[in-house]
Amino acid sequence: MCKYSTKLIAWIDRELEPEPMAEMEQHLGDCGECRLNIAKYEGISKILDDYCNAVVNAEPDWDQRRWIPILSAAAAILVLVATVTVVLRTVVQPPLPPSPTASVQPTQFPIVAEAPSPAADAIRPRRATPKLARTQAGKWLPLPPKTAVEVAIPADSMFPPGAVPEGINFIADVSFAPDGSTRQMRLRPRLTAIERSVSQP
Amino acid sequence: MTGESMQIALPLSRLASDAGEVTSLYRELREPLLRYLVCLGLFKDEAQDVVQDAFLSLHRHLAAGRPQQNIRGWLFRVAHNQARNRQGSYHRRFAEPLDSCFAPMLDETTPERMVLEKEKFHRLAKAIAALTDSERECLLLRAAGLRYREIGEALDMATSTVGDTVERAIRKLSEKLDV
Repeated sequence: MCKYSTKLIAWIDRELEPEPMAEMEQHLGDCGECRLNIAKYEGISKILDDYCNAVVNAEPDWDQRRWIPILSAAAAILVLVATVTVVLRTVVQPPLPPSPTASVQPTQFPIVAEAPSPAADAIRPRRATPKLARTQAGKWLPLPPKTAVEVAIPADSMFPPGAVPEGINFIADVSFAPDGSTRQMRLRPRLTAIERSVSQP
Repeated sequence: MTGESMQIALPLSRLASDAGEVTSLYRELREPLLRYLVCLGLFKDEAQDVVQDAFLSLHRHLAAGRPQQNIRGWLFRVAHNQARNRQGSYHRRFAEPLDSCFAPMLDETTPERMVLEKEKFHRLAKAIAALTDSERECLLLRAAGLRYREIGEALDMATSTVGDTVERAIRKLSEKLDV
């Protein structure tokens, strides 16, 4: 075996000091065995690179998560207020008298989804990190995530200017009890503004 | 100009310059970090959370005025340690059958090429699974574009040990794949 064979990968990676680097280059001009091994190792690196890309491409996006635009906390509150108003109206408003024409549908309860608002994007279901369960066939599959809502809150709506580094905002994870009451709210700092600036050309 | 106002101005200017540096590093390293973490076995959204946490740690690191040399290695170390804490995911990649793993990627290739690619990746995955943890991690960090000294920082190894480990790992793959 050639005495240079242990330095071939360091040479490919340009990790040798200048002097051994030059010595190796001179040697490669004379040694067919080392040239063959260099080609082999570069081939392995290329396959590994393709493999890594394939793994990432094949991995499912569990929630197709995209960083949502930064919307004001006021807008989020507006949606909540609108929702509460609708709920209250459904409680206090007496039912309409029966319509003489049976084919007309009563429309006394406006549906929030029919009134699109940019603020509606501020609230979205969040898929928690999937937990794994082993099936009888021995395969690992994700368990369904807990139901939750995620609200984006700009840092400057909660803190004075300069208190939080530029580019950081907050995501509030809200989870609800079966009766509709809020069970838990957790604020997580996230680099939403940086993410947005990087994703824009 | 009082000493007090200067003391207030200093951290603010530092925050601004840190934000610029973090943004630039984020632009450069977000994809390699995600790829490394997913290849280790994390789910994509799990990996995104780890990347976010790593950059937030970087923010704190820079704002506290801590050392900035080998910052790429430092960032990968933070992400790597968080990945290792998620044991369930960390050991998932090389413990499950790979037959269905690459189907989405190969949809657009011809059937013949698909079979060859699948077979090649299957053999490679088996060969990677047979490596030691540190050999696998060194290889994946090298594939992420890190220099040996940066890999050493990420895995808390001497640079010369990284060189030996990378070489040993590639030789093993070469023997297993018979390339």
